[in-house]
Amino acid sequence: MKRLCALLLATTLVIAACSSDDDGGDTFSSATEPAETTELTVFAASSLTAVFQDAIGPAFEDANPGVTVSFNVGASDALAAQIQSEGTADVFASASGTWMDEIEKDPGVSDRTDFVMNRLVIITPPDNPADIQSIDDLATPGVQLVLPAEGVPVGDYAREALDNAGILDEALANVVSNEEDNASVVAKITTGGGEADAAIVYTSDVSDAAGNDVNAVVIPEDVNVIATYPIAVVEGAPNADVAADFVAYVIASEGQATLKDYGFEPLA
Amino acid sequence: MHRRLPLGITILALVGAAFVVLPVLALVIRAPWGDLSTSLSGVGATTALRLSIEVSLAATALSLFFGVPLAWLLARGTFPGRSVLRAMVVLPIVLPPVVGGIGLLNSLGRSGVAGQWLYDGLGIQLTFTIWGAIIAATFVSMPLVVIATEAGLHSVDRRYEQAATTLGASQGLAMRRVVFPMLLPSIVAGAVLTWARALGEFGATITFAGNLEGRTQTLPLAVYQARQTDPGGAIFLSLILVVISIVVLVAMRNHLMKAR
Repeated sequence: MKRLCALLLATTLVIAACSSDDDGGDTFSSATEPAETTELTVFAASSLTAVFQDAIGPAFEDANPGVTVSFNVGASDALAAQIQSEGTADVFASASGTWMDEIEKDPGVSDRTDFVMNRLVIITPPDNPADIQSIDDLATPGVQLVLPAEGVPVGDYAREALDNAGILDEALANVVSNEEDNASVVAKITTGGGEADAAIVYTSDVSDAAGNDVNAVVIPEDVNVIATYPIAVVEGAPNADVAADFVAYVIASEGQATLKDYGFEPLA
Repeated sequence: MHRRLPLGITILALVGAAFVVLPVLALVIRAPWGDLSTSLSGVGATTALRLSIEVSLAATALSLFFGVPLAWLLARGTFPGRSVLRAMVVLPIVLPPVVGGIGLLNSLGRSGVAGQWLYDGLGIQLTFTIWGAIIAATFVSMPLVVIATEAGLHSVDRRYEQAATTLGASQGLAMRRVVFPMLLPSIVAGAVLTWARALGEFGATITFAGNLEGRTQTLPLAVYQARQTDPGGAIFLSLILVVISIVVLVAMRNHLMKAR
């Protein structure tokens, strides 16, 4: 038994050592750049994960030598709570104005501007096991529906759309899981071949660039909800100047074009 | 009366103790005691608590039912690959629970490697049900019963067993009447740890079983959800978990000690 425990411990340590070696590699390569590196911390709504981490972040780093951008992604409400308790964010990009209002009150923001829009869409596994053809089908008893939790912006938008379609109660009776952020909702449809029959997420999640293996069912214009995303520099940002540059980059033509590629709708 | 320990050891020990105790103490200090009743009703504490107790007890029962024979096989069986099997069986202890959850989805989900037979053939779906939560909790906690039982088996002198069989007892009778009673403290210790681990299970559960109040939202999941909408309620829910765990661990302390 003792030998087993020792072996387990040793294996864990070796694995931990290996993985930290990998991380070390990255740190080394960026450490060879100019000495005064700036580490910008962007708190971004879960739905922005792909576009920010894969496209806008690297492009901004290329345009600003010496700057590395790290993203803390999650549900906007959770991010707002983190900013208020820990306050280490440079930039906050929220999926709803409500949570930006919270941050504007405490600790305060500057350069606040709406920068992009998103709509809702229904996703199903590629083989669409419950044969969902329209939003009304989500009311069919027995459909396994996954929603983002209440309080999460996309969760509130989804309930609003279901209400607009007049099927809120029926659809809520079909909910099998309330997920904590947008990415977790998508995962319930994509992991393991699709556990649930349908979910409501953002249209940006079904763009080619997002690369999710799902089937999309359009929610009609008259019941759909438009999510408007605000972005701002957080009061007390450790790197306020670079943060303002990042906000400017996102709302300029290049950033807007990238967002469009990822299925978002530019404001202008 | 008591011998003085070297100062260095005492200081390090106190820092270590403070590190563990402080977060729990902070929950007590920061809990908004004035809103106790409203907070607890707001976050659905009773529903989550009842579900948590059902899930953790069922997971413990399953772990014992399969884990004790498994420990027996590992301790007394001779077959190739035994050490590999032993390593695989305790893997969930070190695996991040979310990894376990993804593995469970891909194995026992309705499109999973084995789960598709259950679903297509028998119409059984584990995910998004209380059974999903029980399976997830069993996956992460069963190794504890296996380890404790196997350690116990190794410490039981095989001569008792041999004496019993020499005196005419069948192998089964010797196990039931001779080995099992000596093994019981180890099994009980393993069961308590298993139950405590199952009660606190989060990652595999939310990944495999989902998060729905009254069906799969156990206390840890309720804490996770409440921490955003109702931080005060989240603290009270956490304290429920802390109190239950402390009470049981203290109550079972003698058993745990005996098993050593």
